Amino acid sequence: MLLRLWPEDTHLPFMSFRFIALSVSLAVLLGSVAMLGLRGLNLGIDFSGGSVIEIVQPDGKTADDVRGALAALDLGDVSINSARGTGVDAVDLTIIRFETQVPKEGEDAESAQQNANNRVRATLSEAFADVEFRSSAAVGPKVSGELLQSGVTALLVALLLMMGYISLRFQWQYAVGAVAALFHDVLITMGVFALTGFEFNLATIAALLTIVGYSMNDTVIVFDRVREETRKYKKMDLAKVVDLAINATMSRTLLTSSTTLLALVSIFLFGGAVLRGMSFALIFGVVIGTYSSIFIASAVLLLLGIDRGDKPKREVEGFQGVG
Amino acid sequence: MLNFPNWKVILISVILFCGALLALPNLFSDGFLGLEPRDTGATDPVAIADFQAQKAAADASWWPGLLPSNKLSLGLDLQGGVYLLMEIDPDEVAANRLQTMLRDIQTALNRAPLIVREGVPDVIDGRINIRLSDPADMGEAMRRLRRINPTIGQTQINLMTLDEGANGVIRISVSSAARVGLAADAQGKMMEIIRRRIDPDGVSEIAITPQGDTRIILEAPGEANPKRIKDILSQAGRLTFNMADISESAISVAQQTGRPRAGWELVETAEGGLILIRKIPELTGTDIASANRGFDEANRPAVNFRLNGAAATKFYNLTARNRGDFFAIVLDGVSMSAPRINEPIPGGNVQITGQFTIEEADDLAAIIEAGELPARLNFLEERTVGPGLGQESIEAGSRASIIGLILVGIFMIAAYGVIGCFAVGSLISNIILIIGALSGLSATLTLPGIAGIILTIGMAVDANVIVFERIREEQRAGRSPATSIQAGYERALSAILDANITTFIAASILYLVGSGPVKGFAVTLAIGIVTSVFTAFVVTRWFTVIYLRSVRPKRLAI
Repeated sequence: MLLRLWPEDTHLPFMSFRFIALSVSLAVLLGSVAMLGLRGLNLGIDFSGGSVIEIVQPDGKTADDVRGALAALDLGDVSINSARGTGVDAVDLTIIRFETQVPKEGEDAESAQQNANNRVRATLSEAFADVEFRSSAAVGPKVSGELLQSGVTALLVALLLMMGYISLRFQWQYAVGAVAALFHDVLITMGVFALTGFEFNLATIAALLTIVGYSMNDTVIVFDRVREETRKYKKMDLAKVVDLAINATMSRTLLTSSTTLLALVSIFLFGGAVLRGMSFALIFGVVIGTYSSIFIASAVLLLLGIDRGDKPKREVEGFQGVG
Repeated sequence: MLNFPNWKVILISVILFCGALLALPNLFSDGFLGLEPRDTGATDPVAIADFQAQKAAADASWWPGLLPSNKLSLGLDLQGGVYLLMEIDPDEVAANRLQTMLRDIQTALNRAPLIVREGVPDVIDGRINIRLSDPADMGEAMRRLRRINPTIGQTQINLMTLDEGANGVIRISVSSAARVGLAADAQGKMMEIIRRRIDPDGVSEIAITPQGDTRIILEAPGEANPKRIKDILSQAGRLTFNMADISESAISVAQQTGRPRAGWELVETAEGGLILIRKIPELTGTDIASANRGFDEANRPAVNFRLNGAAATKFYNLTARNRGDFFAIVLDGVSMSAPRINEPIPGGNVQITGQFTIEEADDLAAIIEAGELPARLNFLEERTVGPGLGQESIEAGSRASIIGLILVGIFMIAAYGVIGCFAVGSLISNIILIIGALSGLSATLTLPGIAGIILTIGMAVDANVIVFERIREEQRAGRSPATSIQAGYERALSAILDANITTFIAASILYLVGSGPVKGFAVTLAIGIVTSVFTAFVVTRWFTVIYLRSVRPKRLAI
């Protein structure tokens, strides 16, 4: 017996719930915006500037010892955390973060950050023999501003281009529906980042763009079916047609989401700390993207209505074309 | 449906075979593939033994040279290394270039008949002001300056803009057109100098790439200490020969009054003392033909360098003229040594001695030979990954990929039975194609890139799923297996193309605006989209046709 995630030949009236779904989504969206406004994103150094230095915890020392060693350096706000690496022979790690440095005399804003990193490295090497640096990064204020800007630009440009493509292949109403769903997904995912305080960095932007791609993918599959069914049933109520399309694609939607989630969960669990934030965003995004392509994209499409070519003249033309 | 043309079979086989061939080298060591190891010049015995073992393996290799031997190149986040983003300030480039004109300006105005002026010309706020004692000399001074005004690079643009002011003042500045030319020139020059300084023997795999008009990215794999690189690149490397005055009385007078006599300045010596030097140098770094590490009489590390032909003659004349005086070799405002001229020095060979370690002497020779930086480098961004973390990331990435692949495979077979097996087969060929394409394109695999591959594993089955669902529907409508499959593929095509093209748009944007690891993610995602459409639409279908032909099932278990 083969696995079935969805029974065959269903006729669930998804679109009857569209106002409930839209209201729930609207509420969650408002919540996300409020979260973003109130708590804000926990911006990583990619976007906020600053430094992160990760060392293997020196033998028999604690984070406090490291803090003590760095106390004389006058780095401003320093956060020092302990963490455990991944893998079989995982080591204990100490992660040192400090914010954008105020230039000291004779320094400009950019070199201040780099110099601070050099000082920390030198100090740690002196204080703890054979200290092992796992990674270090220093992002100056100039670059961090640009990275944020280019990340946001990337998101917007991608949305615009995809909207253009959908308008070309379908009709503009489809494009609006799809993009509404994408905004919904991106905003809510960002809201969750604000809520959980997960670090928001360049990899997260990459994840958001992938979510956009995935959610769009899902929406296009449903829309493609809507397009097909509207050609088949020219007189049927649009809500019914959309329900038909959603029911027909439901099994596929669930299967693909499941395989994608399986792959993502294995990254989240086994892919190491570096990929955790990214895979978290992706897992959340796939779930919300699946929901939005059913309820948001289709509901917006239904609100806008589509040009079904059901005016008599058009139909005659079509008839002649077939003949 | 059952006739699957032979040309298609051949095409699929060729593509899969090429993909496998390109992916193959990743299974073997460099030595097995006959790739000579790089001699990094490391001196510790373990590294030398390792190098020799690899070399022996490479020499013994029977891997045919015709077969591809490109492997996936690992990003810095996977193999460890230093990433530096640097920027040049165009204003500084212009000011520094102007600085080099001081000597020529001086010489031109000093020629007989001497044009008398007040003060010694210097570059202040990016311009030189010259005040003539007698405004009547203006015409002649401008004529002489115009004659020495050089053009920039291959252009017809003059470096200096000469403005005649009132009361015999001449203002020399760099026009904005010249600034643009200088900046473009400086970026190229800078990259060349950086390479020669960091990697004088050309043995390491350092990548130096331009970004925009004023930025340079340096990526040094394997290197774990950004500080040494930054130190080497922080030095301007401005080397000059200046006439010097070491008399204590003159130095202490200058120190006390804070004002040395006109045209002279106080600089520190390498030992921490002070020395007076003439501001305008006799020779500069551009006069040096080569530099390398040597040893002085006491067998301590030193730096030897050789002047080029014209400069050697100049140096001979200089030493002949100033016998008994001192001259200083000044590097970035510090006098490295100030020997007395006992006799004229022919041949143009000069040595700097000092308290150097061997490594310092090597670095200094590389800095001197590479030449002066056209401007200071500002470091904007630094990222370092240690080799331990890189290795851990590779292991975590491979583990996640294999687990993901197995889970997705089990799921597909559970959902679609026999046809699910075909999808798994095409999924595996998909991964081989992705790895083959990445190796063939010499694209860089980063950790997010591995995530991209795993994500593709999950999403690649989508095209298969869409087709299979259609086949189910068709079969439910009472069609035979062959017709159902035919119709399934036909009807799924538009959905699959539209869906993947939109995702491809997102991946392209990521590639265009992303940097480093994110770019790596975009590349694998984009390649994955192309290969997964190919494998789902062509490879799975081929498997299915073979199955239908050989088994001829009455009904597809799907």
